[in-house]
Amino acid sequence: MPQCETKYFGTVSYDDSAAVEFPTGLPGFENCRRFLPIEEAARLPLVFMQSLEQPGLCFLTLQVAAIDPGYQLKMSPEDMASVGFDQPLGTAVDMVCLAVLSIAYADAPTVNLLAPIVVNPRTGRAVQSVRDDAVYLCRQPLVRLQAPCS
Amino acid sequence: MLVISRRAGESVLIGEDVEIQVLETGSGRVKLGISAPRAVPVLRNEVRLTRDQNLAAAQEVPLERLATALAQLRSRP
Repeated sequence: MPQCETKYFGTVSYDDSAAVEFPTGLPGFENCRRFLPIEEAARLPLVFMQSLEQPGLCFLTLQVAAIDPGYQLKMSPEDMASVGFDQPLGTAVDMVCLAVLSIAYADAPTVNLLAPIVVNPRTGRAVQSVRDDAVYLCRQPLVRLQAPCS
Repeated sequence: MLVISRRAGESVLIGEDVEIQVLETGSGRVKLGISAPRAVPVLRNEVRLTRDQNLAAAQEVPLERLATALAQLRSRP
């Protein structure tokens, strides 16, 4: 079983089939193609997206459904093709949809709902799909998405 | 900001090497054709925002600062 160095968990053994490939990298990290999603029960719905090429690179992501259950995914035909979706979204397409989390810009964490990471588990391919509409924010504060207390 | 009105088929030059042509307009969208040297990066602004956000997100994150937000997410119905 292959092993990799990780940013937050030391050396980790993983199953090759769990690795995902971004054929074009991510914006700002075009040369980083292979990542390992790591989930920890205690920290769900957080998913650590650990680079298999750069041990010091690990994005923290959140399952989009946990942030915004009504999120409407929209992808360009190019992005759909790059992960191997051959049916329109909205049909029962098997996918994982994650939002990159950052705490650099404010005291409160923000998530990028403008450009979710979409993984096709059937092909093991992923893309950070940057929307071309202005429906969702690049720096959506996480706390404001909570339902108001009743 | 310089503001120029153009119709479909007309173009704007930026410097010697960059040409932006309006190809199509309509239904709230404009289709642009951009000719630029390979060394000039052409990006949708959303991609630049995402690149900047990725670069920031790649910094070290003190996980304890996320504990509260995660607990709140988990406790939602």
